[in-house]
Amino acid sequence: MEMEITTLPKKYHSAVERWRDLYLPDYHLLVENWEKYFPKEPEFKLCAFRALGMCSSIECGDDEGKPKYQRACEMDENKAHRLLGAVRAQASTEFGSIQQHQLTLSRAQSEEDQFWILRMMAEELRHGYQMFHVLLTDDWTSVSDTSGEQMVEEILEMRTGSHVLGAFNVDFDSFVDNIVFCCLIDRVGKYQLSMQKVSAYAPMAESMPRMLQEEAFHLATGVVPLRRWVTEAARGSRYTPMSLIQKTINKWFPRGLEMFGDERGGGANVRLGFKPMKNGEAQEQYHAEVSRVVRDLNERFLRERVPEMTATQAERAQREIIEDGSTLHGITRDDLLKLPDRRFYRRRGVSAFGMVGVDGQTFDSVDDYLDHILDSMPETSRAGRDFKRHAELQRQVASGELTAEDASRAAPQLQRVGGVCPCSKSVRWVLDDAKSGSGNGNGNGSGHANG
Amino acid sequence: MSEATAELKVRPMDEIDIGAITRIDEKVTGRYRPDEWEQRAIYYLRRDPEAPQVAEIDGQVVGFALGEVRSGEFGLEEPTGWVEVMAVDPDVRGRSIGKMLAEALFAHFRERGAKRARTLVDTETMGDLAAFFESVGFEAASLRPLVKNL
Repeated sequence: MEMEITTLPKKYHSAVERWRDLYLPDYHLLVENWEKYFPKEPEFKLCAFRALGMCSSIECGDDEGKPKYQRACEMDENKAHRLLGAVRAQASTEFGSIQQHQLTLSRAQSEEDQFWILRMMAEELRHGYQMFHVLLTDDWTSVSDTSGEQMVEEILEMRTGSHVLGAFNVDFDSFVDNIVFCCLIDRVGKYQLSMQKVSAYAPMAESMPRMLQEEAFHLATGVVPLRRWVTEAARGSRYTPMSLIQKTINKWFPRGLEMFGDERGGGANVRLGFKPMKNGEAQEQYHAEVSRVVRDLNERFLRERVPEMTATQAERAQREIIEDGSTLHGITRDDLLKLPDRRFYRRRGVSAFGMVGVDGQTFDSVDDYLDHILDSMPETSRAGRDFKRHAELQRQVASGELTAEDASRAAPQLQRVGGVCPCSKSVRWVLDDAKSGSGNGNGNGSGHANG
Repeated sequence: MSEATAELKVRPMDEIDIGAITRIDEKVTGRYRPDEWEQRAIYYLRRDPEAPQVAEIDGQVVGFALGEVRSGEFGLEEPTGWVEVMAVDPDVRGRSIGKMLAEALFAHFRERGAKRARTLVDTETMGDLAAFFESVGFEAASLRPLVKNL
């Protein structure tokens, strides 16, 4: 597919480079070591790619078959408003994930893993840049009084804790987070990008092919190190035991599910031609895909631990150990990986703040449930602000002080207010007012994810 | 699922296919080589993730073809599509799965600007494979493989 390559006007390009210097300080290492880790591959370039020759008619929804929109002003206000929200959310997640990865990048056990993540971070930066390109090459005044310049500034000023989607506000505690995040959260990104590839808004659709190509490597950056870690765990290595991988999956999987938006929602995006699938359908496919990853990791573990085991035997053994609770070759259910119940540790969607454990067990006591969440996650999550805020809301829901829906709206997520703060040149944020319904609708509408 | 109703699909490989590819290779060669396939998969996924192809029947991966377009190999400056590895699960052979995989690779090579596809086959030990490549349009070329014992 032929690509049109462009760069943003100098002031925006420079702003992204300054952001990069602040939040991706190891970028120069990537450049210096590119040839060592990615020999004969084209060097990273900060630019926007637009695919040429894509489908020019709307591919789904009420206007299927009509020409795609080239400009926001061609749409009605509701449509354009929804689209603008989607572009800004997408941009926010790209920059948000870099801030998260940077926290623990230096703790990688292997240099190769570290450089894979570093490349992935640079490509996420490019994805954010791509979304700026979409924002800045159109006129959004019909739906927003915020100028393109202000939108860019808002997004670049965001910190972990202020991003639009929950998963991008959760701190990383170890390099296991970097890897599991790539495997689980970037996978949601793949779904979102694939769906946006058919967007009725042509500039968005045309931005997706290159982002999806890069995303394929990001997912491998999660899965391949995980495969190596389970192999080492099977050999008895204590560096990244199965229990830590399991706990890290428990930490991120609920956030991944929530990034699709409420399971009951997403119909409007389909009708408007922005996405071909509703939230629930996409989430279902995601669940099936992640289940496959987990089965493969378990097979890798079993065959490393018991070398005489064939693929077919490993498949059967996995079923017997996980489903029947059997112990085979000394391997028990706790030695293998499992996806937590979909209702575990949820703060959005149909299961928000229901007290359901990793194995689907229910809890009557909020203290017991919070202890269960903590026992099921890496120890370092205990002290995090994300869990603290969740626990507060869980208690308020349990006491009847808040409904689950209100708690969902107030779940760790901040809302921008009052424009740019004149004294600090930064954006001011306050917690959403749960009762005002002023959240961005992510709890009940459509999800977005980084790519 | 009967042959008549099974849905056969060819699509670009992704990172979740590593396990299935390892199993097919094991069936064909008798060797379990997960590390090697992890390395190979990530190589393709970071260079050109739309190039490697897998075939699946009802969601089960039953074959794969790995290759990419490169220039400057062996003095060939023109962009050339190199077919590097192909395999089909022995249990489902005879359904033109290899041909479909090859066609998908060729289509991608064309899209990347290649006018020729090339591969190497040991005709002494891989006669079947040589016959397969002939069936999808390959012919003997002047580029000769050379070997030296060390």
